[in-house]
Amino acid sequence: MTRKALLSEIERKAWLQTFEHGLWDIAIGLLWLSFGLSILTGIAWMTPIWVAVALPAMQQSMRRLIAPRIGHVTFRGRRRRSMSRVTAILTVTALLGLVFFLLTSWSTRSDAPAAIDWFRTHMLALIGLIWGGALGVAGWAADFPRLYTYGGILFGALLGADLGLPYNLAEALLGVGALITAAGLILLLRFLWRYPPLQESGTEGALEKRTGGDGSA
Amino acid sequence: MIHEPARLLIVAHLYVIDSADYVFLMQRAGLTWGNLSSHLSKLEEAGYVELIKEFVDRKPHTMAKLTAEGRTAFDAYRHQMKALFADLPDESPGSG
Repeated sequence: MTRKALLSEIERKAWLQTFEHGLWDIAIGLLWLSFGLSILTGIAWMTPIWVAVALPAMQQSMRRLIAPRIGHVTFRGRRRRSMSRVTAILTVTALLGLVFFLLTSWSTRSDAPAAIDWFRTHMLALIGLIWGGALGVAGWAADFPRLYTYGGILFGALLGADLGLPYNLAEALLGVGALITAAGLILLLRFLWRYPPLQESGTEGALEKRTGGDGSA
Repeated sequence: MIHEPARLLIVAHLYVIDSADYVFLMQRAGLTWGNLSSHLSKLEEAGYVELIKEFVDRKPHTMAKLTAEGRTAFDAYRHQMKALFADLPDESPGSG
């Protein structure tokens, strides 16, 4: 193995560790749950509320829960650009969700144009393809392999609904969202168990492991 | 300076990323805090590493970043090692 390959491996392991905690999985799962709840309740602004609440919550969780355990690292240009791409892809996906929700509502009206009928007939498969594809592309862009699986699950669930399995779009999204959120929670618990918190002490350069009450190392 | 195994590991990590704090380096390099602190001090004295000290949530927080000199030194070390081992034949199993 060349020195360059070893260095790439070090960099990739550091990068993958930033996804090990499962918070991204929880955020994505809750996104699909919010879509499902929007459709079920007819409240379109549930998704923007998710965005407004979840992103700051995630930022705080990263700072207070994750960083004390695996530290803070900033990556060089290529990785930084990939995260911007992922954020853009997930934002567009969220907006597409809103657009499809509105189109779906419109397509049920009697004054909707005929062309919309085709969309309505194959709506679920189309939505699954676009959203599943978006997750897959995000997974590729961010080098975040679990997104391929989540994209596949989402597409499969919506295709199943389109082919006549006994559940509708809202139920499919709720199911997929719950599954991904549960996976994220399991990852988070495993992460918290595997990595005890560390902190720099008040003295310069000194680090101490948080211990139990008796202060032993 | 870089040849020491622990420092090589630290510099290798800092080479492939932009910057990292003590917790990350300690966790990735598998060093104790005392070792890490000592090695980073030596690297800072040599001008290879820049330590940026700040307070986050009223707690001390130090980020380490490889300087341009540090990157040049690591690149030179890589090329030296590559040249050193370039002429060595592959060792066949069982040879003395």
